[in-house]
Amino acid sequence: MVELDVRGEMCPYPAMKARQALQKLPPGETLEVLTDHAPALSTIPWEGAKLGYRSSIEVVGKGLWRIRLEKAEGPIDTRKALEEIARRAAELTTS
Amino acid sequence: MTTLSATLRRPGIPASAVRAALWIAAVIIGWALLDRESFAFGVYWFIGIAFGVILQRSRLCFAGAFRDLILLGDGRLLRAILLGLAVATVGFATLEARLVPDPSFGVNPNGPHIQPVGIATLVGGVAFGVGMVLAGGCVSGSLWRMGEGYLASWVAMAGILVGLELANHTWAWWYDHDIRRRSALWLPAEIGFVPSVAVVLAALGIAYLAVLWWESRSPRMPELPPPPALPPMTVREHLERAWQSIASPQGWSYRTGAIALAVVSIVALAYQVPLGVTGGLSLWADNVAGWFGQTALPLKGSDLLAGCTPGSGGWMTVRGATVLGLVMGAFGASWLSGEFRLRWPRTPSRFAQAAIGGVLMGYASVIAIGCTIGAFFSSIPSLAVAGWVYGGGLLLGAAVGVAMIKRLP
Repeated sequence: MVELDVRGEMCPYPAMKARQALQKLPPGETLEVLTDHAPALSTIPWEGAKLGYRSSIEVVGKGLWRIRLEKAEGPIDTRKALEEIARRAAELTTS
Repeated sequence: MTTLSATLRRPGIPASAVRAALWIAAVIIGWALLDRESFAFGVYWFIGIAFGVILQRSRLCFAGAFRDLILLGDGRLLRAILLGLAVATVGFATLEARLVPDPSFGVNPNGPHIQPVGIATLVGGVAFGVGMVLAGGCVSGSLWRMGEGYLASWVAMAGILVGLELANHTWAWWYDHDIRRRSALWLPAEIGFVPSVAVVLAALGIAYLAVLWWESRSPRMPELPPPPALPPMTVREHLERAWQSIASPQGWSYRTGAIALAVVSIVALAYQVPLGVTGGLSLWADNVAGWFGQTALPLKGSDLLAGCTPGSGGWMTVRGATVLGLVMGAFGASWLSGEFRLRWPRTPSRFAQAAIGGVLMGYASVIAIGCTIGAFFSSIPSLAVAGWVYGGGLLLGAAVGVAMIKRLP
């Protein structure tokens, strides 16, 4: 498990750093990104989906989230994945 | 992590009291300003507040619009801005038609941002494009991010003020070698009002389609859908729902923000001048330089130039009032939605990057007589050709900036 801490960073660093980390990730590894930047809740999972990673988000504190990216088994239905990402990000930022 | 909002919300100070205090402060300051200069300062103070609230709530970002298109294949921001430009174009053209009923007469309307089109326009656009990507936001973007507690944006703003004053001191070179010889090309003077509006709207439409095509090359992120809501029944629920649609932590969509911004800019132009911020900042930067005996204003020839000019003189101008209102609106919106938090970038070099980006933006704003607001969002709807040249420069500069940040830490 590789951890990426992008707290305090503003756009586009959370998404850009997450993409760079995913591209360098050894096969079979998962990436966990720690961020306090609300837009990253949709951009990081999206970057992950583009590279074939499933995402889950854990609320770590007020305005602080941990995004876990795991390689998906088989191809991802991008349309469904994006809709899911958008809905989840909207719910998480409503609290 | 200490936060200002946490301090203000100590037990004993309810959030509603903070909210009320901010509103009262805004109204009192506005009242005091309205009392001067035939309401102009007060009007632009409130316009600035609306500006700041809209930016903070919708997270509208001109830097992100160009940057994310290139870096992430995400065109949502840029498409929203193109939509805002279209709305503003219709409004501005209507107002201009009243200011100058006969455009072929050869006199440009006074007020709209119709900058001269020259090398300075293009160089300004490119330099600003690079700077805004390095700094993580344009001038207005840095202002509202300051209101969310991003310390890098504070550093960027310092850089912007330095860049503005540097440019003020070197303005004469640009004026003599380029600006004074250039025409402030205004489409209606060449082809009339209706064809101008048609051409501009068509060009914006083509740009919109081009962005969609570029986005289609990779899976497209939909806009965040609002969570489903129970229908309101009582009057109180209706009012609460209305308040929530403005104050909800989720914010507004990019489209809503861009259209709201366009409407505010139309109202501003109806009064005197459209939205613009760098003129005000430039004057303040020069006043500060004046403490050390280094003023550079007034800019040579600027009394005959249109755009976000600084003018000269005291501290309060309509541009200055706009900036103050923006800061108040953005800070207020950020505190009230609980988003204010002091944010230190993880990478220390981010501060140097923000400073350099800021200086580039400040410098570019003077030679292009405006920033992404004054030379772009207020210029294209003014039916000026300059806005398009500047916008092209922004795209080019943003591409260079993206290439740079990919290689930096």
